[in-house]
Amino acid sequence: MTAARFVLRVRRTRFHEHEHEHESSFQDFEVEVEPEATVLDALELIRIGRDPGLRYRHSCHHASCGTCGCQVNGVARLACVTRLGDLGGELVTLEPLEGYRCEGDLVVDPGPLFRDLPPHWTVLRESEGRRPEARTRLEDCIECGCCVAACPVAGPGRPYVGPAALAAIQREIEKAPAPEAAAALLELAGGPRGERLCERFIDCSRVCPSGVAPARRIADLRRRVGRRLEGE
Amino acid sequence: MAEHVVIIGGGGTGAALAHDLVGRGFRVTLLERGELFSGATGRHHGLLHSGARYAVHDPAAARECFAENQILRRIAPFAIEPNDGLFVALDEADEAYAEAFLDGCAAARIPTRRLTSDDALALEPGLAPEARLAVRVPDATVDPFRLPLSFLATAAARGARVRRFAEVVGFVERGGPGVVARDRLAGRDLEVTGDVVVNAAGAWAGEVAALAGVSLPVRPAPGVMVAVVGRHVEMAVNRLHPAAEGDIVVPQRRLTVVGASLWLADHPERGLAARRDEVERLLELGARLVPAVARAKVRAAWCAARPLAAGLDDGRDAQQLTRSFRCIDHGETDGRPGLLSVVGGKATTLRAVAEAAADRVCATLGRPELRCATRDEPLLPPRAWFEGRGEVAP
Repeated sequence: MTAARFVLRVRRTRFHEHEHEHESSFQDFEVEVEPEATVLDALELIRIGRDPGLRYRHSCHHASCGTCGCQVNGVARLACVTRLGDLGGELVTLEPLEGYRCEGDLVVDPGPLFRDLPPHWTVLRESEGRRPEARTRLEDCIECGCCVAACPVAGPGRPYVGPAALAAIQREIEKAPAPEAAAALLELAGGPRGERLCERFIDCSRVCPSGVAPARRIADLRRRVGRRLEGE
Repeated sequence: MAEHVVIIGGGGTGAALAHDLVGRGFRVTLLERGELFSGATGRHHGLLHSGARYAVHDPAAARECFAENQILRRIAPFAIEPNDGLFVALDEADEAYAEAFLDGCAAARIPTRRLTSDDALALEPGLAPEARLAVRVPDATVDPFRLPLSFLATAAARGARVRRFAEVVGFVERGGPGVVARDRLAGRDLEVTGDVVVNAAGAWAGEVAALAGVSLPVRPAPGVMVAVVGRHVEMAVNRLHPAAEGDIVVPQRRLTVVGASLWLADHPERGLAARRDEVERLLELGARLVPAVARAKVRAAWCAARPLAAGLDDGRDAQQLTRSFRCIDHGETDGRPGLLSVVGGKATTLRAVAEAAADRVCATLGRPELRCATRDEPLLPPRAWFEGRGEVAP
């Protein structure tokens, strides 16, 4: 087995009694692992073997739960499917996901993402497979927040609802049981926080680990909103 | 004032137990040392068993498994791909197993349909052409993080307090049982006392028990799983033979998961890695059922330690489904009243394990009249968790 040396440079953040006081600094951890080992594998090694205080989120280890998003060498990615050997160098810098409140080290509060994703919006869809029977599968979106982190327009205190929510609206419209339901969703998409604020950076689709293609869905919403306006 | 139950462990068992206990009127505080479901629960391959897998050697367990399958489909439909499963015979030995398999399913009242090779391949073109026959069963696929999260979301909406990144580092006696938790987000230790403390820490339950000075028969049993790119099947595909390694192939969104291997370890997480040779072996086994998995790009390969309740004889324990877990009252076994441990269980029987554990909590507290209500109660969708009701500010 050919192990390789990597240095994980992790931004550590500690908070004091009052949340607005915090100190943040980088700490380097050297690891020897196979190049196929992931960022998450390395974090686990460090936590288990060296520093139980290293804080990060993880659950499924296979890009299903969406909890392990962080900035890896400046790019929003899932730690569990980012292989160290694919990053082009020994030094791997890890920081908390951009645009979310850091709760400590790589742990962020994903609350703002879910504020614009109502619990009742659906997560199942018809499967595309060509089979004799119709099948249901879970939607691609694993609600990891990487698209929102990557979007230069979305962020704390800004009005744009962001690519995850707009992509979800577009999926809901496609599945909408009735025209009134679709119309209400289109109101949202076409409203003051919606698609008009998208500036077509396409970073959302670039970072999405699950093939949601939010930029394409936002473009579809833009067309639908345009058609509705023409119809008025 | 309702009794306070402190639960150690934010895995499937802890989440379902919090939900059950809150439903019976208890105050609940759940302490999880990291992210929710970051142990065995979250890393589960996602197969929601029909129970058919147990039908040959334990029809009673199979029947209860099927009952839980049906319950979860009713109470948490949002986390399930309800596409049934196939048990596929690849050789003569598998074919010979079919009769016993069908008889066992019939005894367990699990609906089955026997399919010819042609029918099976028409239903699942991705199956190996060697498939001789298949049996269709009501398996399904679950989202391993979101299914148990719906239990916790519901519990939190009803007042359960949950602290993540709060690791139990010791036990205290303050007129009743309690723990010291290291809150790693707030950066300080805190004491949490209750009327009962339940150790539901999964593969770490032995370590937690040791902090309390009691021993616990839990053995970490790790395994490797692999997810490849592409949804190569729509149904859960199992090999029609006695359970063995690498004999399930499960779709999940647009990935296909092959599982799993199994070995025994001494530590819940030290030294666990998905070695390349293990991964290749699993893919080779999975490819016997679904050839495409050996050609597809690997998306992820990971390891998880299941918590096995050591000392149980799976085939002969009288307690049916509960044969795979134990609920221990340390007041009876170790002279530590007020401390219970729940050991073992499977990801998809979390509700049933929690029911039995909650019954035990009630017995301990002299409240046997409090009844479980989780069988029929629809759960909140998992996103409800993020509405902030569960998190306790430091």
